[in-house]
Amino acid sequence: MNTLLRRPTKHPVLDRVSTDYRDEIKIFGKTSDKRWAMLFGVAAVIVPWLLDADLTPPMGFPWSTWFTVINLTLLAAPAAAAFSFLVGYSGQLSFAHAGFLAIGSMSVGYFGLRFGLPLVIVWLLAGVVGALIGVVVGIPALRLRGPYLLLATMGVYFIALLAWKKFLLAEFGFMGMQVPAPQLPAWTADLPWIGTDTGEGLLIRTNLSWYFVLLPMCVIPIILLSNLTRSREGRAFAAVRVRDVSASLIGINVARTKLLAFGVSSAVVSMSGALSCYYLGARGEDSFPVQLTLNFAIMIVVGGFASIQGAVFGTIFYYVLPELTRWLRSEAPIIRDVDYLQDHAGEIDLLIFGLLVVFVLMTRPDGLSGLWGDIKGWFARWPFSN
Amino acid sequence: MSTGSLRESSFREVDLRLNQTFGSFLTGPGEGRQFDPPLGVPVVLASAFDISTNLPLIVGGIALGSIYGIVALGFVLVFKSTGVLNLAQGDFLMLGAYLSVTMLVSYDSGFLIAIVAVSLVMGALGLLIHFSVMKRLVGQPFFSIVLVTIGVGIVIRAFILMIYGPIEKGRLNALPSGSFEIGSARILWASVVIVGIIAVILVAFMLFFRYTRLGLHIRAVADNLEAAAAQGIRPDTVYAMTWGVSLALAGIAGLLYGNVNNVTVQASTIGLAAVPAAVIGGLSSLSGAVVGGLIVGVAELLVGYHLGQEWRLPMAYMLLFFMLLVKPTGLFGSKELDRV
Repeated sequence: MNTLLRRPTKHPVLDRVSTDYRDEIKIFGKTSDKRWAMLFGVAAVIVPWLLDADLTPPMGFPWSTWFTVINLTLLAAPAAAAFSFLVGYSGQLSFAHAGFLAIGSMSVGYFGLRFGLPLVIVWLLAGVVGALIGVVVGIPALRLRGPYLLLATMGVYFIALLAWKKFLLAEFGFMGMQVPAPQLPAWTADLPWIGTDTGEGLLIRTNLSWYFVLLPMCVIPIILLSNLTRSREGRAFAAVRVRDVSASLIGINVARTKLLAFGVSSAVVSMSGALSCYYLGARGEDSFPVQLTLNFAIMIVVGGFASIQGAVFGTIFYYVLPELTRWLRSEAPIIRDVDYLQDHAGEIDLLIFGLLVVFVLMTRPDGLSGLWGDIKGWFARWPFSN
Repeated sequence: MSTGSLRESSFREVDLRLNQTFGSFLTGPGEGRQFDPPLGVPVVLASAFDISTNLPLIVGGIALGSIYGIVALGFVLVFKSTGVLNLAQGDFLMLGAYLSVTMLVSYDSGFLIAIVAVSLVMGALGLLIHFSVMKRLVGQPFFSIVLVTIGVGIVIRAFILMIYGPIEKGRLNALPSGSFEIGSARILWASVVIVGIIAVILVAFMLFFRYTRLGLHIRAVADNLEAAAAQGIRPDTVYAMTWGVSLALAGIAGLLYGNVNNVTVQASTIGLAAVPAAVIGGLSSLSGAVVGGLIVGVAELLVGYHLGQEWRLPMAYMLLFFMLLVKPTGLFGSKELDRV
């Protein structure tokens, strides 16, 4: 009868116990992790060339569309990781995510389009602007926690959205913000690989060129974030998440820690928002709906709450799932012939998505990241795995 | 108060006719004025104190605010007793609006029958949601449960799109149309009727909480779960009933909302405005939710008319933000911030 009395569940990621300090600061916990990382590194170089090769796999399996999916994942993964870092790892519930994406886009409109600064500079400046605003937004977090902080940051989102709409109207009019494709500087024209015949820098427009721009801009913030969680500051975030009063008793500056969490997370999100302007090419009034924050929240929770690996998995899941259902709908033998499924494609995708979110959260609270750990564990223990 | 023989095909014409006679109650008279400082300031100030402009806005705001109020009431009820921040409340309202389209238009039932049917169906859905989903999530991190409510909202939205299609349904016309005048201000009958209906519902709920056994149990569990369980109250039943009541309230709100605005998937935005209402009243106070709803409703319409429609939700959330910084317990809340 008392099943509803609250019982704390152990979180697989957050309640991880390290036996010594060296274990705590390790980048790769196990040797197998190092092998997996190398495998992913090799794949990161090979896969784009394969995707660019324009193969036609059997059963009409989409090939070149995967490139767009991968690029979108690279674009969104740092933002998801930063969100996961703030909400999951530091425990500062925030719904201002889309607001910071809008702030990143505003920095593009200001620095990139008005002053004509190059992409990388705008990207870094967006990070600075995001960090400054993030620290200011973090101030309510000093007074509020849990659901109250969540609701207050929803307020921040709506104010940022209003600012974005006013900015858009004042700077660009009703047509929205059009961002031209970024171009490499002219001196790169003679270099091998990225040189052009025209004497001007390469225009970053194709999937392949975008991939090599987005890859470092995705990997660097994610590595920095995961390094941060392993440092002294990182343990302070975790302590504040569990209980800020106790954290202050063991000598952690709670105010500083909370503001830092907000600042770092907002910086990365804002950078991602700036990058998305360049990649998508246009941003309008309706580019940052409430749904956007919810989508990111779903990514991090489906992927595995509070783990940066989980955020990346969740992002991949979020972008791959619609492509998979589209492929199944158009090619799978029985599904192809059902008219109802063809007519209601969008709704059924939405339904599958909603059901998956509810199902994953009910059955596997550690999400895809936990599932991945189980699979790795199964192989590691083979032939003794049960 | 029963509908005429209104069929889905004739929605468009009916809607046009309604717009001519009925006015747009939610946006107030006219299109709203764009704020254009600094030259606009005197104009805004002049109209800001004009009673014939503001009285309809205030009455409309009270009607809109009472809809916010009962949505927020359901929100607070669930938050107070189960500790779940239910962000799907707007989707439940949308479902209620679509169900009332089915009742009032497809089955051509009377208004009272529609209210009873919608609240029963929504109540049953609430029980279903508790027993199938929410019950299994106790003890999970707070944010995960918030996400589950969002997932439930997505499922509901998908089902609505599958069943009713993406094309918006016109406004229902179960409420009396027309208006009357106070001085030079035109007041819509529908606003008055909505406020009346919601007042009746609120009184009924007050009596329910005060005088019935179940109401007592809900209050007891909301107050202290462990103590209530030790007294032999089944928290499971109470949680389920709380969800049922909350969804029934959202359903009724949806029905009333469908009578003053077109029924679309966008109706779920009302859920977003109900959140500030709940916070301003205090997340732990049931009567506060209603008062908060009225404040947000009136503020939204006044601000929306004088500054422009895009200021409505931000203004509501600025009120929320201000309230959280100044008095986190809200206007009527008790001092209990740490409820996670």
